[in-house]
Amino acid sequence: MSAMAMIKSRPIYAQPRRDERAKMHLFVHQGTIDARLDALYQALAESERALCCLASTEERSLLESELARLPLASALYVAGEEAFLWDVRNLARQQGWVDEQIHLAPPLQGQRRVFCTHCYSLMEGVRFSPVICTGCARPLLVRDHFSRLHGAYVGVQINVEDPADLPEEEPLT
Amino acid sequence: MSHSMFEVRVAAIEEVAPMIREFCFEPVQGSLPSFSPGSHILVEMPARPRPYRNAYSLLSDPRDARHYRIAVRLQERSRGGSRFMHEQVQCGDNLRISAPANLFAPYWPAKKHLLIAGGVGITPFLSFLPEFVRRQQNFELHYLFRSQQTGAYRDSLRQGLGQALHLYDSSQGQRCDLHALLARQSPGTHVYICGPQSLIDTVTFLAQELGWPRSCVHFETFTAAQPGQAFSVELARSGQTLAVEPEESLLEALEGAGVDLPNLCRGGVCGQCVTRVLEGAVEHRDAFLSAEEKSRQDCIMPCVSRAQGHHLKLDL
Repeated sequence: MSAMAMIKSRPIYAQPRRDERAKMHLFVHQGTIDARLDALYQALAESERALCCLASTEERSLLESELARLPLASALYVAGEEAFLWDVRNLARQQGWVDEQIHLAPPLQGQRRVFCTHCYSLMEGVRFSPVICTGCARPLLVRDHFSRLHGAYVGVQINVEDPADLPEEEPLT
Repeated sequence: MSHSMFEVRVAAIEEVAPMIREFCFEPVQGSLPSFSPGSHILVEMPARPRPYRNAYSLLSDPRDARHYRIAVRLQERSRGGSRFMHEQVQCGDNLRISAPANLFAPYWPAKKHLLIAGGVGITPFLSFLPEFVRRQQNFELHYLFRSQQTGAYRDSLRQGLGQALHLYDSSQGQRCDLHALLARQSPGTHVYICGPQSLIDTVTFLAQELGWPRSCVHFETFTAAQPGQAFSVELARSGQTLAVEPEESLLEALEGAGVDLPNLCRGGVCGQCVTRVLEGAVEHRDAFLSAEEKSRQDCIMPCVSRAQGHHLKLDL
């Protein structure tokens, strides 16, 4: 796996701190509130904070209206699963937000959204590699190569040269 | 030069404001390289004892490859470049120019483009506008000028832009309330500033005060090198020592000695000519290095910056 560690596209997350430049702070959580972000939220005055709790980005219209309503001088803090973080980030960018304003909290490791490079299917919550693609049934090696656009790691067929050569499943980190 | 220069012919010269002349260049042979909105070229002026090379924004429509047009404001405290363009260059002359480079492209994903031009700083925006119209972008142009000196292209802008154009003629006491203008912008707005340093400083300061993300603020300033005191420069690798005259930039002195450094803007913006300093204190005059990098005193932008004292030793 040492070659995988060199892949630069894998995001590195840092615990968000207060964005000192911003005049308004929007917190977006998936499900329960992240304790560390909650502390940041509680430390802000009521007039300078907003909270959006979503089970998933399916409830995107609520989020979109918040993103469009807030002033240009806003910061966004997102906590949840990794794929959720990037979905929220991409929604914000569609509304004209820039990465400098968007702070993604470290997600739980060990489960990934995977993008099949053969049939373009997306699979959620993948915990082991290789994984059988739900779209084309190919066994996919889950790489550390990350697509910000899809919020997903790239999966490529692992046994192209020898169909009998199927490595053992390994848990993802 | 790190990039190839080629010849063009001056096809037309027009006075577009009391102190601004527009030059239209046509190819001597073949066609002109295409360019993107916000691009500039370097124009070489065959002056003595040394040629001037200044950067000018292309103001023509990027889709029109038949001509390049630039506008040159006569600088009262010019080292000679703008004066040369105004007084020496005639229709039919040939000049050498560089291929276009772009350090000021629009950020296309923006929801809205807020353009703020001061005087001859209108020029890069003139190449933005046709493309904005074609791509149906949401934009406003706020144009600040003094009609007794600058204020070129107002009539054609009025015809083309209508409501999107806002004019402020300080010769008539018209002021732009920049704070109010920035304060009323909604998310997804990007501001672009081109004009005097004081305008850029004011807008960037206000944007910071208002909490705008830095990456939503774009500006371009081409200030040709300002004179300073003479100093000597020692080149550590070749062992040469050169004298830099008061009216000459360090980059020009190096070029005069046959030392070619990469450069795109010659105005302290693009960062191409950065050079390691081994000895001596630098008077930093560029807009490229961060405050922290400047304080380290270990590199210099030779296009605009000079020695604080009488001596510099460079890693060249």
